[in-house]
Formats: sequence, structure tokens, C-alpha cells
Amino acid sequence: MPSSFTPALRPGAVVRAALGRRPGALARIAAWSLVEVAPAFLIGHAVARAVDGFAAGAPLLGLAWLGLLGAAWLAAAGAARQVVLAVAAVAEPFRDDLLERVVRGVLGHAVASACAPRAGSAAVARATLQVELARDAFAALVGVVRGFAFTLVSAGAGLLTLAPSLAGLVLAPFAAGVAVFAASLPALARRQRAYLMADEATTELLTSVAHGLRDITACGAEERVGADVERRITAQVAAAGAVARVTAVRTAALALGAWLPVVLVLAAMPTLLRNGVGVGTVVGALAYVTQSLAPALGGLVEGVGVSGVRLVAALDRILRPDRATPRERPSRTASAGRTASAGSPASARSLASPGRTAASDSPAIELRGVTFAYGPHAEPVVRNLDLAVPRGQHLAVVGPSGAGKSTLAALVAGLLRPGEGEVLVGGVPADRAGPAARVLIPQEAYVFRGTLRENLAYLAPATDREVMAAVEELGAHPLLDVVAARRSAALDAEVDPGRLSAGERQLVALVRAYLSPAPLVILDEATCHLDPALESRVERAFARRGGTLVVIAHRLGSARRAGRVLLVDGGRAVAGTHDELVSTVPLYADLTGHREPVS
Amino acid sequence: MRLADRLAARAARRGGPWPVLLAAGATAAAAGELALPTLIGGTIDSRGAAGWLGACLAAVAVVLGGECLAVWARGLTGARASAWVRRAVVRRLLGAGPDMTRRFPPGELVTRAGMNAEEVGRAPEALVSAVALLVPTAGALVALTLIDPLLTLALGAGVAAILLVLRAFLRAGGTLSGAYQETQGHIAARLVDALGGARTIAAAGTVEREARRVLEPLPRLRAHGAELWRATATAGVRAGVMVPVLEVAVLACGGWLLAGGRLTIGELYAAARYAVLGAALSGALGYVGQLARARSAAGRVAEVLDVPVLGYGTRRLPEGDGTLELRGTPVGDLVVPGGSVTAVAGRSGSGKSALAELAGRLRDPATGVVLLDGVPLPELSRQELRAAVGYAFERPVLLGETVGAAIGMGGIDGGGAERAARAAGADGFIGRLPRGYGTALASAPLSGGERQRLGLARAFARARRLLVLDDATSSLDTVTERQVSRALTEQYGGCTRLVVTHRVATAARADRVVWMEDGRVRAVGTHGELWSEPEYRAVFEERHFEERQ
Repeated sequence: MPSSFTPALRPGAVVRAALGRRPGALARIAAWSLVEVAPAFLIGHAVARAVDGFAAGAPLLGLAWLGLLGAAWLAAAGAARQVVLAVAAVAEPFRDDLLERVVRGVLGHAVASACAPRAGSAAVARATLQVELARDAFAALVGVVRGFAFTLVSAGAGLLTLAPSLAGLVLAPFAAGVAVFAASLPALARRQRAYLMADEATTELLTSVAHGLRDITACGAEERVGADVERRITAQVAAAGAVARVTAVRTAALALGAWLPVVLVLAAMPTLLRNGVGVGTVVGALAYVTQSLAPALGGLVEGVGVSGVRLVAALDRILRPDRATPRERPSRTASAGRTASAGSPASARSLASPGRTAASDSPAIELRGVTFAYGPHAEPVVRNLDLAVPRGQHLAVVGPSGAGKSTLAALVAGLLRPGEGEVLVGGVPADRAGPAARVLIPQEAYVFRGTLRENLAYLAPATDREVMAAVEELGAHPLLDVVAARRSAALDAEVDPGRLSAGERQLVALVRAYLSPAPLVILDEATCHLDPALESRVERAFARRGGTLVVIAHRLGSARRAGRVLLVDGGRAVAGTHDELVSTVPLYADLTGHREPVS
Repeated sequence: MRLADRLAARAARRGGPWPVLLAAGATAAAAGELALPTLIGGTIDSRGAAGWLGACLAAVAVVLGGECLAVWARGLTGARASAWVRRAVVRRLLGAGPDMTRRFPPGELVTRAGMNAEEVGRAPEALVSAVALLVPTAGALVALTLIDPLLTLALGAGVAAILLVLRAFLRAGGTLSGAYQETQGHIAARLVDALGGARTIAAAGTVEREARRVLEPLPRLRAHGAELWRATATAGVRAGVMVPVLEVAVLACGGWLLAGGRLTIGELYAAARYAVLGAALSGALGYVGQLARARSAAGRVAEVLDVPVLGYGTRRLPEGDGTLELRGTPVGDLVVPGGSVTAVAGRSGSGKSALAELAGRLRDPATGVVLLDGVPLPELSRQELRAAVGYAFERPVLLGETVGAAIGMGGIDGGGAERAARAAGADGFIGRLPRGYGTALASAPLSGGERQRLGLARAFARARRLLVLDDATSSLDTVTERQVSRALTEQYGGCTRLVVTHRVATAARADRVVWMEDGRVRAVGTHGELWSEPEYRAVFEERHFEERQ
């Protein structure tokens, strides 16, 4: 289901794409790298000539060579700065790209599952952290792999030109070191991954413990929870130990790759000197190993072994968020029914042709044999429901909690598709009716950081006069006082959603719905945080607004005010007027307090 | 020594032999690296003599072994030290209980038990690694002096310059990354808001618009990121120039001495290598930063460890009907008769929840004492108290792998959990879950009302004497609520029930009502008696915006 928002891409493909998109930066990296590794080529030659010069009693010649080397180093340091900036020019868009993916993925996922995730902030924090990890690791990786390749070529060339007879002694063990490193990578990656999973499992448990301290104490479950945490911590230490062991073995192989050439060159020294190679040349060859090749290899090991593994792990989580954050998975996976995604091309089309929603002969809402369950094994929440709501009717939906009232609202709004049967809004299948045809205001009102005007005119453009009239009509003016000191400045005031109460946020959502031109309004317990008087005022205002009104009732007053009541209960439903239901349906009488419960 | 430093030191000691092995390995490797230039120089001067070569081989072996040991021990030292800190934090969290959440928000606690514990755990390795870097730096200076004091002067000047660079970088980095992280925080906050409005966004078909809104601060993030990169690159130039300049300076100086016959070629080689080793100080940059982070992290962890643990006594409850008594507590004096249903009513912030917390010792009163069947609560053992008192909350936090485990919480068997679930009206929807009681909690689709009923079941399953319902049926509709309270009376009638409520009907059904105002008990009586007071009636007229979140 989330695949339409977060295509499961291979991390490698994403990295290649990021590199491929910035050919200019890549060219700059390559050009500056040539300058940066010039000393790696020069060092052996310069040291050999300088040493020979000094030893031959020509110190000025020696100094000249050293001066050349020093100048090359200075140029290299400047080039290194340019390389970092060029790498940044690739890494920053890479980060932007990942961040966009995360935002669209997480948001799309939440919207597609049509339910508010329970603890989104932790998942978001983790996701943004992964993006940062990926950016840093990506930059480090590009830096070291590039550095290694350029250094290897340039030091190899220097060695071949300085002392071809030594090249084999140096490069063979060095290549062996690189090979061992490459061979150890998969095992290291596996164990790193296992460690990250263990780490995540611990964090997940710690999160629920920190949120549930009151509950743990109240249940006296400290020991059981403590034992659970202990198990996760122990597993984490074991995973860390496994990573450390592979790293240690790899370190040995690599140190060998860096030091064995030195020993071999020294061992071959008597033979070399007999064959007329100078001592300066030997020292120069050693300089290639210790000053160029060994540091480059060390950087590669550190870079690929740490940054590379980290990058793959982070990308893995970013590109497959459903696996990354198991707790934030859509809690209601609709497999028997199907979720519909608003913002699909279909709904965009219907927005463009409002005529589809204006077939005046069909009822506002029509359900034919609708059945819906949240899972293949779950009992249907809505079972074989038939219902027709004529245009302009005011319908209240009542029923015990968990009876499927919100599910019904989501079906009518087209956010869920029925497993069987069909839901029509104005004669059009609900999931294709689109935002112009209906407004759904859920219990959890959405208010975003922006001006109050932007928040209120979210569903349709409106003049200030229209907005203020709606605020007045709904009795939402306390809202104006909350966001600004003066009412006249309220619409331009920035709204901080965290500082509004639940009731104030609901008022924002209600004004927003009132301003929408949609002919069908569905209030899904959208007034539950308002006091009864304000709730009544809001519902009457919506009734006066015209169009069809469906109220998922939180209080009984909503049912009394409605022209028609639909009572839903565990997959069954009965419709009628309030009076009819009171006299014929015991559950409804019970619900409305018209009959004392048998006790 | 500061408390935070002591904590880090204790964490290091809990690492077992590993910090010692880390130090040993790192020191051996450093010593080997320090010896190698001299040995290689000797080999060069002796034109490859077997003795020198053998010594080189031995030193290489020491470096190899030392590095391996250090890498292995570093991983384990960090892991064990962090685990120790984490265990200490979790023990303290569980021991202090709800008092902890009153002092720190849960997210903060997760950070301290998670990331901060990790940072403290890295203190020993950062310290050892920093010290192990000092060995070659100091040693290189000595070795250079032994070769020729002039060379030391050249190197010493360079090292001083590197130290200055280090300080400059640490100062610049902090403020820049602060602005970057702040912008990141803005994006995250916008995304969290949008997630909360997922249903609205789905219905309005505005996913794309919301994605753009969330990403609006991205250009600012990019600008701050670019500044950070420039700072990093510039610091890199300063540090990167220093090493080669040092080496060239020492080489030139030594070359002059070589030409004058005061130095051999081998010694010159060694001198150049020592110059590089001496410059390894730049590597300490990372460790310095890590140590600073570890210190501040240790400070934050220490704050958590300072929160006192809720102590328990050893007494058991005598036979009794569950009479609850508050004497001289900040909320006042109160006797709740055993077996009664007592409602607690009052406006928001009037102290209803505080009373509920005192009743079953989720907190201790600042003054006075709370007794259950005549025993002061702090004198009861933990098992005795928690088995006697059950709590259900307005927003229960459910813990456990499965739905059944969330009800049982380890102390109740499956049968008890199912009986309690039936009483709480939860068996119906649990039956509709894919695997019933065995459904994984993380994947169970639960509404607010369903969560409340699981919380009620959890409380029912364990209450023997006292059941405290703190607004625990607020998300249930009237029918379900009546079913629950009926089941409560039928099956748990022997229990004293303290029911915090906003609903008139619940107060009316209770044997008596405790009316709270301004943090204290204002009056106790039947609902009928209190109803004559206009101010009492006003309690049930819900206010405009009842709860600020």
C-alpha cells in the first residue's frame, strides 16, 4: 500500500542517482583532487632527490626539492578545501532529496492509511536523524573513496617512475590488504545492521517505558518491565561485541597491508643497493608507503567500513519507512476493505469537472450492500449496510464506541473503500467524488503553523468578510482573542497549534468546513471538545448553511437536533427519526436514557 | 570531581577488563609506532642488517597486535559502559515511577536513557584514545630531541600552532550547527503537525500542498548547511597545511644537519616520521569533542539518577473491606468507606487526579498520611500494595507484546485477563482482532475508547481492595459506560471504588461524591445533597475549552 509513495529503491541506486545528477560538481571534485594528490606523486621523488642532495653535500638542491614539495602541499591544502565544498555540493542536494522522500513518504503513508498515527513525533525525529546520518556518511564516503582512488593512482605512478623494481614489493601486499578489507565488508555490514536493529529495539522499548511509568508503577510491573529492558540491553551489548570482533580482525589484515610493504622494502635493501639503487630512492619509496598509501588505505577502511555501512543502513530505513518504524505502521491495515488515497489523479479530475458531483437526481449519499472489515480475519465493522441520505438532510450517526461510526464516515468520505457493495456520493463512487464534493472534519482537528487566515481558508479561498462572518455564525470568536491581542489583527496572526486547546483547534476546523462550498459536510465527532451549548450552536449553523449534513454524534443532543438518526452497533444499523427509534429500538432508548437499564 | 565526571568514571569501571585492555592495546600500538621510525632509520643506516630488520618486524607485530586489541576493546568498552549507564537510568525510572514523569517529559527520558547513555559510555574510549595519541606526540618530541634539539624546536612551534587551530574550530562549530539543528527542528515540527491531521489532509486531498509546507524551511537548512561545510573545509585547510609544513620544516632542518655530517640518512628519515607522528595531535580533535559531549551527557544522566526512588515497606494488609483514609494531606482529610462507590467531581485542575494519585500511592503526600485498612501506604510492600490497588486512567499507556499481555502485565494469567476484559466490555473488539488476545499490541488497531477499555480490564484484573478510575470511561459512550459500571458492581462489588468523573450520571449513581475545589476536598455527600449547591452544579456544565493540550 505505501509503495505508491515510497518506492522500495536500492540504496546503491539512490547514491548513483545523487552522483549522476551533479556532473559539474563531480568534475570539480575530480579536477581539485588532481591538485590535492600532487604531493602523493611528488613526495617519493622529492624526498629521494633531497636526501641524495643533502648526502652529496649539495644542501641547496635538497632544499629546492623540499621547497617544491612544500609548495605542492600548500596547493593541496587549498584544493582539499575546494574538494570538500564540491562534495558538499553533491551531499546537500542528496540530503534535500532524502528529506523530501521522508516527508512525502511519511505523510503519504499516514494519509493513505487514513488514520492519525499515534506517536508521530518519535518516528519523525528518528527519520530526520537518519537523513542527517545519511548525508554525513555520504559526504564522508565520497571523500574517502575519491581520495583513495586518486592517491593510489598517483603514488603508484610515482613509485613506478622512481623505482620500478620496488613497485611489486609495495603494491602486491598493499593490494592484498585492500582485498581482505573488501572481503570483510559484507560480514561487517551484516553485524552493523544487527547492531542497529538491536539498538532500535531497545529505544522502542525505552520509549514505551518512559511514557508508561505511571502505568508500570500502578500495575507493580517494575520487575517484569525491568527484565524486558535487561534482555534488550544484553542483546545490544552482544551485537556490539560481534561488530567489534569483525572490526578487530579487519584491522589486523589492514595494518598488515600497510606495514608489510615497509618490511619487504627494507628486507630487499641489500639486494637493491648492490644493484645500484641509491639510499635516497629507498627512503623515497618508503615515503610513498608511509605517507601516501598507508593513510589512504586507513581512510578507505574508516570511510567505507564506518560511513559506508552507516549510509546503507540509514538509506535502508529512509527508503523503506514501513520497516523502519514498525510502531508507526498504519494501525488499520485495510486488506479486506481498501484504502483510497485522496489526491489521486482520479480525485484531481473530479475537482476539475465539478459537474460530476452535481447530478441533481441522485441522493447525496447512497450505500448499497456495504461491508467493510479492517483485516481478513476481523469481523466486519460495517455489514451489508443500505442507506440513502437525500440532499439537504441532517443525519446523526449514533452508537456505542467501536461500533464503526468513524469507519462509516471514512467510507462516505471515500477514504476507505468497501470490501463489498458501493458507496455513492452524489451518484459518484465516494473515492472518486473528491474534495469539492464533501468535507470531512475528524475528531483530531488539523491546525498548522501559518496565519489564522491560511488555516481558516484552507479548503476554499474566502474574503476576510466571509471568514469573519463564518466565525461569527459559528460562535468561534473566542478563537480570535486567543491568537492575537486585537481581533482586527487576528487573521494575520501566526497560529502555533501547540498553544491552542483541543476545543480551539476544533473551532478552526469547523470554520474551515463552513467556508467550503462542498454540498456534503461530515462532522466526525468534530465538536467533542466544545461545550454542549457551543456544540449546539455549531450544528445549527451548519444546518442553516444548507447542503447535506452528517454528524457522528458525541452527545445525545446531536441526535435530537438531527432530522434523521442512524444507529450503528457492531455491524448492524437502524435508521429513523429520534422518536421512532426511542419507541422501537431498546439500545437507542438505553443510549438516550429513555429506559433505565436493568440492573 | 564533578558528579558527571564521577558517573563517567564509574561507567568506565563497569566495563570489566576491557578499558584496561583498550589502554594496554592502544599504548602498545602507540609505543610500537613510536619505535618504528628509529628502527627503520637504523635499518637504513645499517643497509638492511638482519638485527635491525628483526627489530622492525617485532615492532610491526606489536603495532598490529596492539591495534587489534584496542579496536576490539574499544567496541566492548563503549557498549558495556553505555549498557551500565542505561541500566542505572532504567532502574531509576522504574524505581521513581510517575514522579520521574512529573520532572522530565518522556521524550527527554528516552534521550537520556538512549543517546546520552551512549555518549557517556564513549567517555572511557575517548579518554584512552586521547591519551594514546599523547604518547606518540610526547614521545616524538623526546625522540626528536635525542636526534637533535634543533629539530624539536621546529616541531614544537608547529604543534603549538595546531593547538590554536583546535580551539578556534571548537568555538566556531557550536553556533553554526545550532542554527542548522534548529531549522531541522522546524521541518520536523511541521511534519508532526501534518501527521496529526492525516485524516483532514486525506479528505481535503492536500498531501502535495502539505508536503510543500513541511519542506518550506528547506532553503534555510541548505544555507545553514553550506555555512557548516565552509567552516569544516576551512578548519580542514588549517589542520591539513600544518602536518606537511611541519614535515618539510623538519626535513629541511635535518637535511642541513645531514649535509653538515651531524645526521645520518636513517636519522633524517626517523626525524621526518617523528614530525608526522607529533602532528597526530590533530587526530585528538574528534576525541576532545567526544569528551566534551560525554561530560555534558553525563550531567544530564546524573540529573535523572538524582530523582529519589519510591521506597516501600514490608507490611502486608490485614483483613479488611478496603477502607481508605487520608489524614492531614494537602488535599485535606477524607474517609472512603470500604466497598463503597465514591465519585470524585470538580472542575479541571481542582485536584481530582491528585487525590486519585494519593489514594493508591502513585505519589506520596507532602504532608500527612494515606491509610488503606489502617495501614499507612508507605509501610506496605510493593507486591502487597500493587496487588491490592488497581488503577485505570483516561489515557492508559499499554505495554506488552500482545493485547493479552497488556492486560495481564506479567502478574495475571490468561483466564484472569479474559474475565477482566469481559467486565470492561473489551472482549467484543478483542475477538474481532486478527489473533484475538494474541494480537501484537503494536499492530492492533485501537481507538481511544478501546484503549480505555483495555486499561480498565488491566485495572480490574488486579484490584483486590481498591479500584481507582481516573476519568477512565471518558471516551466510552453511555451504553458502554453503563455496562462497565454494572459489571464492576456485579463482579468487583467487594472492592472500594474511587471514580473520578465529569459526568453527572456517574456521580448520581455513586454512593457518595467527593467535591474537589482548588486542590482540596470542598465537601463530601450524596449527589442529591450536593446538587442543591449552584457551584456544585456548575462543575458539570462543561466549559468552553475544557482541556488545553
